[in-house]
Amino acid sequence: MSIMLKVTNLHATVAGKEILKGLNLELEAGEIHAIMGPNGAGKSTLGNVLAGREGYEVTKGEVIFNGKNLLEMEPEERACEGVFLAFQYPVEIPGVNNTYFLRAALNAQRKYRGEEPLDSVGFLRLVREKLEVLHIGDELLHRAVNEGFSGGEKKRNEIFQMAVLEPALAILDETDSGLDIDALKTVAEGVNRLRSKERGMIVVTHYQRLLDYIVPDKVHVLADGKLVATGGADLALKLEEQGYAWLEDGGIATLDVETAVQTANP
Amino acid sequence: MSELSSQLAADLPENTGISPQWLKDIRETGAAEFRTHGLPTRKDEAWKYTGLGSLGLAQVQLATASNTTVGDWQQPSPLAESNLQLNLLDGQILKQAGTVPSGLTVLPMAEALDSGVNGLQVLLESLSIKGTKGASGHGFSALNSATLDSGVVIHVAAGVDAGRLGFTWSTSQGEQPMLFNSRICVILAQGARLELLEQFESIDDNANTSNIVMQVDLGKESNLQHIRFQQETDQSVLITRTEVSQQAGSEYAYFGFDLGGGLVRHDLHTSILGEGAKSGINGAYLLDGNRHVDNHTRVDHFAGGGFSDQYFRGVASDSGRAVFNTAVCVHPGADETEARQSNANILLSARAEIDTKPELEIYADEVIASHGATVGQLDELAVFYMRSRGLNEQDARQLLTTAFCKSVSDKLADPVLSEVISQRMMDVMPQAV
Repeated sequence: MSIMLKVTNLHATVAGKEILKGLNLELEAGEIHAIMGPNGAGKSTLGNVLAGREGYEVTKGEVIFNGKNLLEMEPEERACEGVFLAFQYPVEIPGVNNTYFLRAALNAQRKYRGEEPLDSVGFLRLVREKLEVLHIGDELLHRAVNEGFSGGEKKRNEIFQMAVLEPALAILDETDSGLDIDALKTVAEGVNRLRSKERGMIVVTHYQRLLDYIVPDKVHVLADGKLVATGGADLALKLEEQGYAWLEDGGIATLDVETAVQTANP
Repeated sequence: MSELSSQLAADLPENTGISPQWLKDIRETGAAEFRTHGLPTRKDEAWKYTGLGSLGLAQVQLATASNTTVGDWQQPSPLAESNLQLNLLDGQILKQAGTVPSGLTVLPMAEALDSGVNGLQVLLESLSIKGTKGASGHGFSALNSATLDSGVVIHVAAGVDAGRLGFTWSTSQGEQPMLFNSRICVILAQGARLELLEQFESIDDNANTSNIVMQVDLGKESNLQHIRFQQETDQSVLITRTEVSQQAGSEYAYFGFDLGGGLVRHDLHTSILGEGAKSGINGAYLLDGNRHVDNHTRVDHFAGGGFSDQYFRGVASDSGRAVFNTAVCVHPGADETEARQSNANILLSARAEIDTKPELEIYADEVIASHGATVGQLDELAVFYMRSRGLNEQDARQLLTTAFCKSVSDKLADPVLSEVISQRMMDVMPQAV
């Protein structure tokens, strides 16, 4: 398997404060990695840095995505190269129709790849197809982007955008936050339908609950700006059981879990 | 008085032979007022932010019957289909196409003055041309009255729905920049309906000044949809004044779109005279380059149970300058009035300037009033969100600013026209500099 994403010794600051302090991560195509950790560990920062959000300054390290230096690219280039961030707080854009926006985004990406733009008929066909697969009604299509959407609708809309844009790498930033159990299942189902051999996913979450529905290949623990432990899906269960107190009590060795290993940090 | 005002005053036409007497009186009163005060200056409170220096520099000359010939001229293509389409060039009707539905009368001003139209004299005489406290605030109106002979008179008979009437306004390119005066009178009898779609768009570059006064008389339960789309050339000057009086239960809906022009000033004033009349005054202005757009709107509620909503959105970039002054006065006795004012603006450059001022005076009881004015920047998080989906920064910003202004065109009842106008706005949407 080839490495899709290789993050090496990533340091990043927000408003002058160092949040990521030497993060290393390798993800292969087809894999789903979960990143868990206590509040303030830097989980959301990682997603924002990878997507290229302004104000998140990388001070050291590199990110290679499909052989290219991701950090040199503008946010839209990253998107066109196949990086997709599902926002923790999707942004409301009053006055911009959801369908219009998504078609403009898709056609911008197609143009980047040297493909013909989809006309409105072709686009609508694609949209119907995706809605059916995701079991989402078409009521979101006619409204302005996220405007007045409930929390669940916003998250479903993110998954819907992901389905239409078909990214190579999807980063789901606390997509489960603020969802009730039914909305959570719908979103997780959507994500599972988008699993494929070609696609990598990073699922950032505070709680284990989402991972009952999206079973990851690997689970990482992010604490104080670094990955401190890596394991299989069972690591998430242990975390749910035992919390994050072990981080301060002497490390992963004190956590009763077979597969997890302390992550080596430079 | 400025040199320009003195020159214009000297060029005012003679009134010998003008009849009937009331018309002669209007012209003479206008001339006397103009000779005393001339054009407005920045000393007038209402013109504090808008100077007329460019007219003086261009040495604009008063157009009169003797120095104007209406010839064949390239006309803009209409934004949308109308039942009846009028092409106006240099303030006069050049061409008319379509059918005149029964109950609708459309006449050139000169012909209407000759033959007489029900209510025309009263309407023309009702125009106030005196500035407050002896100032020259209405100098353009005085000039307009002093030269009153061209324009259009529209009358819709009681109960008739006249559909859409389209106007295209343009000016010709001569050796010398000219100042054209024109008067539009719109009279809707009881229960009549009309949609007036005005389009200001000159094909050829020119530095002309158009001074147009529109007077609207809305009878009981009548309904006027007034759409004004302006995409004039960079050097041109457009001075317009719209005066609306509304009887009980009538409805006036205005939608103004300023996409061009060098210097644009619009004074829009509606008087709610009868119970339960409604006024919706909406506008969007988009400025870049050195454009200057000044909208002054005012609603006077004289009767109770009325409703007014003033909704304007503006975007300025480069060295664009916008002025927006909105006033509501709820007079004694106009109880149970509801009045809303909302003006939001986006500044896209450090040199652009927007001056917005809401004014509200209430002298009645049980009044609901709200007002808000903001000047801000684009939501950077929204820009990032769009970019993270693949749109480049420029497109993301353009889409956001268009959406901001589109909230005005979205209010239009006709989705086709709404789409055409929002596309036109998108085409000229100012970019951040």
